[in-house]
Amino acid sequence: MSISFTLNGAPRTVQVEPGKNVQTLLRELGFNSVRDSDDGWGFAGSDTILLDGVAVNATMLIVGQLEDREVVTAESLNVYGQLSAVQSALIDAGAVQSGYNDPAVALVLTDLLQRNPAADRAEVTDALSGIFLRESAYEQVFTAVEIAKERMVNPEHVADVNPEFNKVFDRDMRFVGKASRKVDATRTLKAEKAFVEDFVPADACHLKMLRSPHAHAYISKLDTSKAEAMPGVVAVLSYKNAPDVYYTPGGQTAPEPSPLDRRLFGQKMRHFGDRVAAVVAETPEIAEAALKLIEVEFEVLKPILDVDEAAAEGAPIVHKGLISYSAGAPDDLDEQNADVDPRDGRIHFNFPFGGEPRKNIAAKGHGSIGDIDKGFAEADVILERTYESKQAQQCPPEPHLCLTYMEGDRLVIRAATQVPWHVRRQIANIIGVKQNKVHVIKERLGGGFGSKQDILVEDVCSFATHLTGRTVYFRHTREEEFIATSSRHVAKMDIKLGARKDGTITAIEVDYRFNTGPYGNHALTVPSNAPALSLPLYRCENVKFEITTYYSNIVPTGAYQGYGGPKGNFAMQMILAEMAAELGIDHLDMIQKNRVHEGDELTLLGKVGEGKMPSKIPSASSCALEGILDRGAETLGWGTPKAEDPTKPHIKIGRGVATMKQKSGIADIDQANATVKLTSDGTLICHSGGADLGAGLDTVVTKLVGEVLLSELNDIHVISGDTDHCLFDKGAYASSGTCFSGNAAKLAAEDLRDQILKVAAERLGEPVEQVELVFPATVKGQTGTISFAEIAHFAESGTGCGMLQGKGCFTTPEFAFPYGANFVEVAVDTETGEVELLKFHALLDCGTPINPELALGQVYGASIRAIGHSLSECIKYDEEGRVVNANFADYGTPSLGDLPKDFRAELVASNDQIGPYGGKSVSEIGVNAAAPAIASAIHDACGVWIREWNITPEKVLRALGRL
Amino acid sequence: MFAIEKYHKAATVQETVELLSQNSEAHLLAGGTDVLVKLREGHEQFKQLIDIHDVQELQSIEMLDDGTLSIGAGVSCTRLIRSEIVQAHIPVLAQAANMLGGPQVRNAATLGGNICNGAPSAENASPLVVLDAQVNIVGPNGSRLVPITEFYLRPGKVDLEQNEIVTDFRIAKESYENTGGEFCKYAMRNAMDIATIGCSVICRMDEDRIEDLHIAYTVAAPVPTRCRTAEEMCKGQVPSKALLNDLAKVVHEDLKPRDSWRASKDFRVHVISTLAERVTEKAIIRAGGIIA
Repeated sequence: MSISFTLNGAPRTVQVEPGKNVQTLLRELGFNSVRDSDDGWGFAGSDTILLDGVAVNATMLIVGQLEDREVVTAESLNVYGQLSAVQSALIDAGAVQSGYNDPAVALVLTDLLQRNPAADRAEVTDALSGIFLRESAYEQVFTAVEIAKERMVNPEHVADVNPEFNKVFDRDMRFVGKASRKVDATRTLKAEKAFVEDFVPADACHLKMLRSPHAHAYISKLDTSKAEAMPGVVAVLSYKNAPDVYYTPGGQTAPEPSPLDRRLFGQKMRHFGDRVAAVVAETPEIAEAALKLIEVEFEVLKPILDVDEAAAEGAPIVHKGLISYSAGAPDDLDEQNADVDPRDGRIHFNFPFGGEPRKNIAAKGHGSIGDIDKGFAEADVILERTYESKQAQQCPPEPHLCLTYMEGDRLVIRAATQVPWHVRRQIANIIGVKQNKVHVIKERLGGGFGSKQDILVEDVCSFATHLTGRTVYFRHTREEEFIATSSRHVAKMDIKLGARKDGTITAIEVDYRFNTGPYGNHALTVPSNAPALSLPLYRCENVKFEITTYYSNIVPTGAYQGYGGPKGNFAMQMILAEMAAELGIDHLDMIQKNRVHEGDELTLLGKVGEGKMPSKIPSASSCALEGILDRGAETLGWGTPKAEDPTKPHIKIGRGVATMKQKSGIADIDQANATVKLTSDGTLICHSGGADLGAGLDTVVTKLVGEVLLSELNDIHVISGDTDHCLFDKGAYASSGTCFSGNAAKLAAEDLRDQILKVAAERLGEPVEQVELVFPATVKGQTGTISFAEIAHFAESGTGCGMLQGKGCFTTPEFAFPYGANFVEVAVDTETGEVELLKFHALLDCGTPINPELALGQVYGASIRAIGHSLSECIKYDEEGRVVNANFADYGTPSLGDLPKDFRAELVASNDQIGPYGGKSVSEIGVNAAAPAIASAIHDACGVWIREWNITPEKVLRALGRL
Repeated sequence: MFAIEKYHKAATVQETVELLSQNSEAHLLAGGTDVLVKLREGHEQFKQLIDIHDVQELQSIEMLDDGTLSIGAGVSCTRLIRSEIVQAHIPVLAQAANMLGGPQVRNAATLGGNICNGAPSAENASPLVVLDAQVNIVGPNGSRLVPITEFYLRPGKVDLEQNEIVTDFRIAKESYENTGGEFCKYAMRNAMDIATIGCSVICRMDEDRIEDLHIAYTVAAPVPTRCRTAEEMCKGQVPSKALLNDLAKVVHEDLKPRDSWRASKDFRVHVISTLAERVTEKAIIRAGGIIA
């Protein structure tokens, strides 16, 4: 059928089936901006276009509906070499993170401001309320609107978006600590080819997965012959033809402290949505149709849904496969292997970390300092409480996806991954090739938050290409995101706290029980970070904890921003708040009395490793908690009268606070590398191993190189995350980007600087001590100056010293801990149970913020995601372990309407000695304090302690005795 | 790609009815926000579509000579919200339409689609129920008017034959004149969420007494439901906290909330009671009443 319409002002006629989806059509026509985050549920708005002048979701239209109508996409805003007022304002305000949904934001805002140049906050809110911004939490978009309004009148308008923070660094810095445009923002905001989905060739095969309808079952019959016979089907993958290799989906440094307990396909289904078989076909439609031809029968087993069921006597066993060890096998291994069921496959431990699969235990850990009995004996009051969390999902706007193809005998993996080198190592192992035959190209990521630290699509996609030689594209549906990626671990924590009457803590004892789900990726390290990221926030000489991580049949868990921190901190902060109430001490005073101080030795952390113990006891070498708590108390109005309305006695106002911490990479375990080379005209190219996942690492690297080499940022180009062209880097996890990847780049730049100075000194005929770098890109001696261009030209000449290149490798036995706090004011409606966030003030000590405006965006985004898991987000199951809310509409992510009324992020800096120019991590910490801050505010408002995430109105009403 | 066997574009209501009669498996496509989700889910019954976006007769919002309001089934939620007629006479409907999805969905989704898909959580259902709306249906044998409460048969099923089309919703002058109304959608989030409970009330005062009061709920029974027992109780009464209290108890006589993963039954019961008081109070005040 022939359809004619207007597309960005030009007439278009297409010959297509009328039932073709408009979003698909526009993508095929090259309009990358029309993305799809929600499979056409009209939730995320990444598919926003203007149709006859009004915003609609392209996924909710079929092409037939376009006849004679006018379509405008975000590409209409693009002018080559320029940015529109709205585009530049979004970038300047720091509102663009991954840029996946931001073209839609630009389109909607441009349309709004053209119709109403004076649009107020309410109108902006209304216009944007149908666009899901998981990363930036909208707040900086309002700043961008104000900049855009000015710029529409005066295109030369310069915006000052530098946030206020106390400058702790000694010398005057040119780039570090000052706002500058995110280096990749223009590309993503203009919807140029940037994400994996933008590179899929028309002839790529599509991979679709048949998933288990049961949470726990054996495949008793599998017949794929009809699917294989279907024309257009290239291959069907299942346990019958998958490599017999076991691995962990967790993208961690090897040897991984996670059980190697998953095969590409197994005969045992361990969660709702586990892999049964995959079809690789010429088109997605054929692949879908072929899935329906696969005949499969199951022997259904009873599912385990929580840690109590997992630990129960006679519980069904999730892993009955053959257990093996690389080293340190337990003495009773044969006994453990007495009841192997071959259908369960195998389970391998790189080294012992407490796993006992026949008891459904994936990992165990423990640690203690002091004398716990003595500590409790010294207490005047002892509290014992149980706190619980529920399962939250990262919800990156871009789902997991992967494109693989062969280049000669090499496999190319274009991936949206946080861990390119771990992907290369793991894929080589899984498909059985050498690492030099695998090339991983990390494209831009449309959000990761830890979920793209795990290898969840690259494995099967690579196998399909390696098996067939064909280009294969695998993209998760949103439902698959909910049921088959690595969500947040679930925890149940028994905590006991002793304190003297004056509030001094004397003892802390915690029993952490974690639910890791069907596979043990991060089963040791996430739970180990629960104590590590919470207990050292308080001084206490007597501490003891135990960790047990259980297998179950919930949908998989893994790494999610915070990495054990949000759960552990919920228990620690909540029991401290409960103790303060018990002792009649102001909550903030209680925190102040016991909190960690700068310079404190963190003895407990010497007892918690991530697979191996730290080589030295860490200390809180930099910590701005004092300034943070003072500032938060001031902005929130801690201790001031509450504005309760006497005509609304059912609305109760309360205030809460919680501190938080994280680390900046893992000492003694992680490593990052970089090179910086001088090009012929004196500009710089940095090859960074770091995997920017949208949070701004490439911008950090650019600025650090610029700061060291005193070059214009525009003269620095960063190539990152490419395993052929860059050096090894642990990947984007453990909040390591700034400190590890950043320091590696800084070291490389310093190495290059030394070489430049040496050559310059020779050329100038002066001793090297006499020459120095001056901005821009020049070496100054006492007799004259020489530019980087001249140095490069000489170096590359037939009589030169060779092209100049600096190399940096960063490892450290030290930790750089960021600190922070959330101050919250809530209004609890005691009749409906609704909790309204009146104020949410997030304060962060990330040391020197390298990109201050992007740091704020990180804090806003982290806060809203944490508000999500605290209040509205939860993966829900029926009794059989099937997920009932695997879509955005039902799952419960906060959207624009749920923003706190007074939402603030502030930076309070300390000067750290480990991070580059005193910088510490920003990325993860921001999610660790929202739940306890909100829960303690609810108690302050209406006197009830809610000890379980997510805090729903129903739980509030039950606690209040209203149901 | 959705495998659509037939796709027609209708220009008039007459043509739509003819196309429906000729294609016994055809479904109507208006804004498409529900149909596209069903297509993506692979519902076979949507293989034949008749696009009614261009049918101008479905697009009007007007006051007829006798004061009856006629709201075209093809009117989008956004147009409802912005309509002067709606805002002036039945703002409760605009209030509800504004709670449906995000702006992109409201720009496309139509009033007719929202009602005819029979969803128990439809935002626009409870306002139309309290306003005693009549559903104007045209089929091969002419037109018929059905009260909206009778139009809803069971979840997902309305009183509409395959060869019929809803052209507009009619609200008689006596149903809206001198009334005050209020709508509330109770959901877990402030936007983009599915209602746990929806409630509408309209009220007309006679001096200091309630002359007439209508209250209806969605997601509180299999279909949008009026609470007639409670309504009767309110007639002729002087509004008071005590009356609202009683109302909160009596509304349950006509409702049947259920347990689901979204919310437990006792939680829904509690919310129904709370909304009865709050929504009614606002409607009474809008109608010029005072709560003693």
